[in-house]
Amino acid sequence: MVADDRRRSRLTVAFRLLLAIPHLVWVVFWTLGALLGAVVGWFAALATGRLPQGLHRFLAAYVRYVTHLHAYLYLAANPYPGFAGDPGYPVDLEIDGPERQSRWKTVFRLVLALPALLVMSALLGWPSAGGGSQQQQQDGEWTAGGTAAGVAVLVAFLAWFAILARGRMPQGFRDLVAYALRYGAQTSAYVLLLTDRYPSTDPFEPPPPEPTPSRPIRIVIEEDEGRRSRLTVLFRLPLAFPHLVWLALWTVLAVVVAVLNWLATLVAGRSPRTFHRFLARYLRYGVHVYAFLTLAANPYPGFTGDPFRYPVDLEVDGPARQNRWITGFRWILDLPAWLVSLSLTGLLVVVAILGWFASLVTGRMPVGLRNAAAFVIRYWAQTSGYGLLVLTDRYPYSGPSERRVEPEPVERPPGAPEPGAGLAPA
Amino acid sequence: MLAAAAAWVVLALLLWRSRVPSDLTLPALDERDFFTAAQLREAHAYERVVRLLLLGSLLTTLIVLVLYARHGARFLRESAAGPIGSGMLLAMLGLALVWLSLLPFGLLELWWQRRHGLSEAAYSDLVVGGWLALGGEFVGLSLAILIVMGFARLLPRFWWIPGAAVFVGIYALGAFVYPYLGAGERLEDPTLLAAADRLEREDRLPDIRIDVATVSTETTAPNAEAAGMGPSRRIILWDTILDGRFDDDQVIVVLAHELGHHASEHIPKGVAWYALFAFPGAWLIARATRRRGGMRQPAAVPLALLVFVGLQMVALPAFAAIGRHMEAEADWVALETTGDPDAARELFEGFSTSLLADPDPPAWTKAFTETHPTILERIAMVEAWEARRGR
Repeated sequence: MVADDRRRSRLTVAFRLLLAIPHLVWVVFWTLGALLGAVVGWFAALATGRLPQGLHRFLAAYVRYVTHLHAYLYLAANPYPGFAGDPGYPVDLEIDGPERQSRWKTVFRLVLALPALLVMSALLGWPSAGGGSQQQQQDGEWTAGGTAAGVAVLVAFLAWFAILARGRMPQGFRDLVAYALRYGAQTSAYVLLLTDRYPSTDPFEPPPPEPTPSRPIRIVIEEDEGRRSRLTVLFRLPLAFPHLVWLALWTVLAVVVAVLNWLATLVAGRSPRTFHRFLARYLRYGVHVYAFLTLAANPYPGFTGDPFRYPVDLEVDGPARQNRWITGFRWILDLPAWLVSLSLTGLLVVVAILGWFASLVTGRMPVGLRNAAAFVIRYWAQTSGYGLLVLTDRYPYSGPSERRVEPEPVERPPGAPEPGAGLAPA
Repeated sequence: MLAAAAAWVVLALLLWRSRVPSDLTLPALDERDFFTAAQLREAHAYERVVRLLLLGSLLTTLIVLVLYARHGARFLRESAAGPIGSGMLLAMLGLALVWLSLLPFGLLELWWQRRHGLSEAAYSDLVVGGWLALGGEFVGLSLAILIVMGFARLLPRFWWIPGAAVFVGIYALGAFVYPYLGAGERLEDPTLLAAADRLEREDRLPDIRIDVATVSTETTAPNAEAAGMGPSRRIILWDTILDGRFDDDQVIVVLAHELGHHASEHIPKGVAWYALFAFPGAWLIARATRRRGGMRQPAAVPLALLVFVGLQMVALPAFAAIGRHMEAEADWVALETTGDPDAARELFEGFSTSLLADPDPPAWTKAFTETHPTILERIAMVEAWEARRGR
């Protein structure tokens, strides 16, 4: 649950890490207690089929407290959190009471939790992963450190500057951190035996706390119930090779056109229609290829980036007036979005690998994984469309879920399938 | 049609010309005179299993492709691409199914090679590496489908003429650039380099670069190859042939053999042979797929795959015979330029024991799979050469 108005105190933000020190000390002790409680709870759940009421309350308070603390640290919430994990914080959790749990799931809980822990590490990171990132920076190499430390850490780092400048947390950043915290809380609750329901990676559920304005670059997903051909899943990476080669060749030309488009937009204040159409097609093709590669979609994509022909499609509005100042400094302005996009690639890789195994075994791609992949691909497309290709001057929206998109009527080629519903329900 | 067939025969006869004397008669030899009973027993036992695996994989490939030709079109529903993209998908899936069905044979063969000390490759390399390597093959296959279906959409009945021409061009280009793609290091042994200079003068060849490829991490099999055309000509020695099992004289015979390939223009001749088979092969594929709408339709691709592989299997004896013919010529050139029959004989005997090659395999194996003369035939050629020189 997010009940946050995004206003932030610049003073507390400036010293946020230092202010959190008492909490960071307290959370160590509470974590030790929670681990001990989880071991006791494991035996109890095995014996009785459910977690004892008192233990459940204790562990639920712990998970809630950790979520509050992380929301505070990652700037997803403004007020200083309490130490007891009481409900009522702007970024909060609703945790159901103890329920009957499958003993089999209890026995193998840690093993079963491994995929969820992988996704969680991509979103929130591990302490060791953070250390690795630091080492890489000491060696003078800048790699996807955000990925090693988790998306949320990078977003919080960028948000720190934004808040100090504007006094408000950007909505996309807040929603992205909230998504990471929700997934982290669900995973912790699963590991600590609060529930035997598996964490959901679906970024579209629940819907965002406040509506988001429609973007000129939108992704459209056709509902396919997750069916996947096991044969094409097994050979997904090799099958994508011809597309990756073609995409690389196309990229060479697209970069040249993008530079020309940037110059033309700087002069005319609007992207020339021919350039815009070509670059939109290139971007759409990229979305098709990545959707296929990461199993967000099932069928083999075409090589031309045609609209309305692929279950995970991209809609790009026609050329509109663009602010010349934003165009002039486009590549600098795009840097934070690129960092977030790069960081989200870690999540995409984890989701694709887990989805590969799941699809191979069950013949279906879990909807949560599919939507998570679609979210990352959408953000990549918006980032590329904004920064590299200069298709729009609307900044990419980093929140995982956009409000329902109502596409404008477009003339479709004969026989083209109807596009599916928008990315997220209203 | 008759004129085309006559031209084909004439060209084939021209390409068949060889520096091996046409009246050369190889003496009948007994393998027991050159190898011990234990060596022969081990080679026979090893090759028996290899032959079984080969038969099994050929049969499996055919069965898989027959089934795929019948049912493969159903995978069209897995494509959102246009006709050519869908054709690519069907071709790649066909190859993927063949790879998957041959994987057990590959694993068994690797186990057999490791058991006999012929390979050090890991099983995981075969599975994961092979799976990843499919990506490269898929790129090539997609390009082939693009060429075929692209021309078929322009020239539905006669696509095979420009199609085969383009394939020949690509094959020639590949033969030319192949040496530049290798990551070998230059040979630095002064004795071998001096010998190579002398052999090149004998063969009236320009200075040809000699590289050493590191393969000993994967295999113990000794080998070498001649590659490239014109300015890209090169000789590539596997480091397994320089590991001490063969002395300098024997390695010089190897160099002379590979230079013999270049002196006899075998690489350009190989391109010409490819052209001679590519045109009729493409024509036959065009004929066979007409009932499925021709190669402009993606549904015809599974059948085209079956026909293509079937034709290759039918042509195996011809390919093997051409290979043996060229190798025999290179052996002859090597004997002429080195004048060292003893080293050649010992080299061939060493090949048999190193590769566990059956010195005198059954006729059907020789006809279908042996792209080199058998060990016994190679030794017989040495003896025939000696007889001609009165030694």
